[in-house]
Amino acid sequence: MTNLRRAQIGLAVLAFVIGIGVLLVVINGEHNTHRGAYAALSLGIGWGFIGTGLYVWRRRPGNNIGPLMTAVGFSGFLKALAFSNSSVVFTIGSLGGVLIYAFLVHLLLSFPSGQLKGPLDRLLVVVTYVNTTVVQLAAFVFTDPAKAGCAHCPANPLLINHSKAAVVINAAQMDIAIALLGAVVAVLYRRWRGSTPSQGRAYAPVLAVGSLTFMLLMTELIVEQANLSSTLADGLTLALFGSIACLPFAFLVGLLRSRFGHAEAISSLVGRLGGGEGRGALRNALAEALGDPTLQLAYWVPDRDAYVDAEGRPRRVDPAPKGKIATTIDHDGRRIAAIVHDADLAGERDLVQAVGAAAALTLENERLDAELRAHIDELRASRARIVTAGYAERRRLERDLHDGAQQRLMALGINLRLARDRIERDPRQTAELLDASLQELSEATGELRELGRGIHPAVLSDRGLDAALKGLAGRAPVPVELVQTPDDRLPSSVESAVYFVVAEALTNVARYAQAQTAKVSVVRRNGQVEVQVSDDGVGGADPEQGSGLRGLSDRVSALDGRLDLTSVAGEGTIVRARIPCG
Amino acid sequence: MEKSVLIVDDHPSFRASARRMLEADGYEVVGEAEGGRAALTAAERLRPDLVLLDVRLPDIDGFEVARRLLDANVRTPQIVLISSQDSIDLGEAIGASGARGFIPKSELSAGAITSLLR
Repeated sequence: MTNLRRAQIGLAVLAFVIGIGVLLVVINGEHNTHRGAYAALSLGIGWGFIGTGLYVWRRRPGNNIGPLMTAVGFSGFLKALAFSNSSVVFTIGSLGGVLIYAFLVHLLLSFPSGQLKGPLDRLLVVVTYVNTTVVQLAAFVFTDPAKAGCAHCPANPLLINHSKAAVVINAAQMDIAIALLGAVVAVLYRRWRGSTPSQGRAYAPVLAVGSLTFMLLMTELIVEQANLSSTLADGLTLALFGSIACLPFAFLVGLLRSRFGHAEAISSLVGRLGGGEGRGALRNALAEALGDPTLQLAYWVPDRDAYVDAEGRPRRVDPAPKGKIATTIDHDGRRIAAIVHDADLAGERDLVQAVGAAAALTLENERLDAELRAHIDELRASRARIVTAGYAERRRLERDLHDGAQQRLMALGINLRLARDRIERDPRQTAELLDASLQELSEATGELRELGRGIHPAVLSDRGLDAALKGLAGRAPVPVELVQTPDDRLPSSVESAVYFVVAEALTNVARYAQAQTAKVSVVRRNGQVEVQVSDDGVGGADPEQGSGLRGLSDRVSALDGRLDLTSVAGEGTIVRARIPCG
Repeated sequence: MEKSVLIVDDHPSFRASARRMLEADGYEVVGEAEGGRAALTAAERLRPDLVLLDVRLPDIDGFEVARRLLDANVRTPQIVLISSQDSIDLGEAIGASGARGFIPKSELSAGAITSLLR
C-alpha cells in the first residue's frame, strides 16, 4: 500500500470521526434555529466532499481536484464549529469557517484539469485566500457576535471593542467578497461558453451548481450588509448550505460525463480519421477531439533519435514551447509520436493518451510518411553537399597541382634551358644545373604521387584494403595498430569509402587528438562492413565542426551506411562507420 | 650596366631557378618577394629596373601589383608578367595591366626577357 493510499484512508477515518463530533456540536448549538437541517447539511457537505474528493484523488492522483474537494469537506466541518456553544470552538469555527469559500473558488476555477488557467484565475484565488484568512482575522477581532445579530452566540474571546473599525473592516471584507464572487461567476460562465460540446456537458452541472452557490452567497452577503430581513438571511443561509451540499454530486456527474465525453471524443475522432484526407487531417481531427486548436504533432524518427514534423523537418518537443506539454504516444511498445498540446490539458493526460491510442495506426502511417520526407530532405542536402564537395575538391586539386608539381616542372624547364646554353662553355655549372633539375624532378614526382593517392590510391585498387590501410598506418605520425582487416576483397566503392574514413580519421588523430596510439579495425559481418578508428587522445571532438567528417558522412550515407563519432572529453575519440555490404 | 631585377613568385624553387637563370645572363637580382604586398614594399625600397612578376600570388594578384607599381609617382620599373597559364587564359588583362609584356613560365629564359625589353 502506498503512503498516499494510507494517507487517504487516514483522512477518511478522520472525516468520519470529525463528522460525528460536528453532528453533536450542531445538534447541541443553542444559537442555532434550524439544528436538524444544519446538522444534516453540515454532514452532507463534509462527508459528501471528502468522500467524492478521496474517490477522485484515488482515480486521478496527479489531478488537484481530489485534494481540493477533500479540503472543501474539512473546511465545511470547520465552518459547522461556529454553531458550538463553547467560546473557543465557536471562535475557531467563525475564524476558519469562511475558508470553505476560498477552497470552493479554487476548486471551481481549476475544474476539471486541476490547474488554474491564467493570471486572472490566480489573482482571484489569491485574493480570495487573503480575504478569508488575513482579512477574516482582522474583521473577527472587531466583531461582537451579540451586536452582529446573534444574541445567543458565545462571546468572542479575541474581541477588541472598536465599533468604527468593525464597521469599516467588515464592510471592506464583504465588498471584496461580493466583487470576487461576481468575477468568479463571470469567469465560469465564459469558460462554459468557450468549451467544446463534450467539455460543455462535463462542465455544465459543476459550473451551474457552483455559480448558484456563489450567487446565493453573494445575495446573502448583500442582505447581511444591508441589514434586511433576518428571516430572508436565514433562508438564504440554509439555501446556501443546501447548494454547497449538492456540489459534490454535481462534481460526480461532471466527472462521469467527462468520461462519457472521452468516449465521445474518441468515437468522433475515429469517425473523422476514416474520412480525412491530406497531411493536416490527422492534426485537425486530434485538435477537434481534444478541444485544442493549437495542437501540433511530432513524429519519432528512431534513426535520428529525434522528432520531425509532418514535412520531415526537425522538431524539438523537449522542452515543449511555453504553455505547451508534449504527451508521448506509443504503439506496440514503440514510441511513434508526441502530441504537443495546451498545458491546460495537463490534468487530462489520460484523455490525450486515449485519443493518441485511438489514432495510433494513422499516426504510425503519418510517422512513416514524415520519416520518408526527412530521409528525402537528408538525401537532398547530402547530394548538394557531395556536389559542392566535388567542386571544392577539384579546386583543391588544381591549386595543389599549380602550387606543387607544376611550379617544380617550370623551374626544371628553366634549369634545363640554362644547362643547354651552358653545356659547352661551362660544363661544371651545367652539371650543377642538371643535379638541381634532378632534385626538382624527384620532388615533382613525389608530389604527384601524393596527389594521386588523395584522388584514389593505386595500392587500394591493385592490392586491396589491407595493403592500403597498412600504407596509411605506416605514414601516420601517430603509431597505429591495424587490429583487423577483411580477408576478401570488398566492392570497390566500399573499399574506397572505408579507406577514406580511416584516412580522414587518422588525419584528425594526428591534427587534434594529442594521442599516443590509434587502433584501426575493419570487420565484415552480418551483411555490413564495420570500420572503427579509436585513439587514446584528449577527446571532446565536435561532430558538427569540420567539413571532413561531414563529407565522409555523406560518402558513407551515399552507400546507405552510417557514420558515428563518440568523443567524450578525456576519453579519446572513436569514429565508427557501418556500410552495407551484401 | 647590369639591370637590377626583383623576382616575385610564391614558389621558392621557381624563384631559385629564375635567379640562377638571370644571374647567368648578367642581370643583378636585387631581391625576391613571395606575395603582392611584399613585392610592393620591396620595389619601393630596392627601386629595381625590372620586376619579374608572377600573375597568381597568394594575397594580391600580379595584375593589381603591376597597376599599383605603375601608378606610383616615382621612377617606375619595367614589368614582365609570368605565369604557368597561357596568355590565352589570361586574355586582355595582360594588355590592361600596363606591363611591358608576358612570358609563359614554360618558355621563360633570359633571352626571352631581353627580347621583350629590347
